[in-house]
Amino acid sequence: RRELPDGGARPSAAQFKQLVVSALRELHGEVGAALPVDVLTYEEKTLCAILRVISSGFVKLWSALTLLGFYQNRRCAFRVLQASPFLIALSGNSRELVLD
Amino acid sequence: AARPRRYVLCEVVSDEPRCRQGFEERAVGLAVRDAIARVHGDYGLGCCSISFTVKYLNAYTGVVLLRCRKDACGLLCSALPFVRQLESRNQRYPCVLNTLHVGGTIRTCQKFLIQYNRRQLLLLLQNCTNEEERRCVQKSLLSCSLTEEQSQSGDEEDDDGTE
Repeated sequence: RRELPDGGARPSAAQFKQLVVSALRELHGEVGAALPVDVLTYEEKTLCAILRVISSGFVKLWSALTLLGFYQNRRCAFRVLQASPFLIALSGNSRELVLD
Repeated sequence: AARPRRYVLCEVVSDEPRCRQGFEERAVGLAVRDAIARVHGDYGLGCCSISFTVKYLNAYTGVVLLRCRKDACGLLCSALPFVRQLESRNQRYPCVLNTLHVGGTIRTCQKFLIQYNRRQLLLLLQNCTNEEERRCVQKSLLSCSLTEEQSQSGDEEDDDGTE
């Protein structure tokens, strides 16, 4: 999950994807921009998204998002809430699971 | 090895005959760095620029020797096909870079270059159109092979006689 705090403008899903790809292009060039990144879910209200990337590109994606500073001339930051190889792990904290 | 480096030998191929004028170390270095920035971004540019220089350049044959760090060699070699033009003195010359050899020392690259030039001379001899060119190339072939291998030069003269 990624959280993106922002001042005013709220990007749509397509603009969010464009933002991610442009961050990759800045840090890692055409090779980075060609990395297949999928936006699985995106909530415009909370500006939260779940991204999927091939494991060899994980480091590139995280570093590119960390170093992205601006969206439409406004300062912004990506905050990574959780990273996991399994999608189901993102749905809740497995340590709080109670087995009956 | 102390400060691991890789030396990449490449050849600049261009259709335009005026390209030789734009052949400067600075222009080639800038063109390569620009290609790395386009293909690998800020990270690639920073990674490759640590120890990057143009070590040797031959304007007549278009051979360039680049030096880079061993870790960045893969990034550099993958970005070389994306060099499209050389810019110097506000003139742009379209060109293509062919990678000939990647070596760990300048000496290995030099050895390769000598052998490569010999092979190129032989190819030129086959493609010669008029007699004068043929004589010039034959002379340079014989002069370069006489110094090292005396026995082989005898064989080459026999071949030229039968041709």
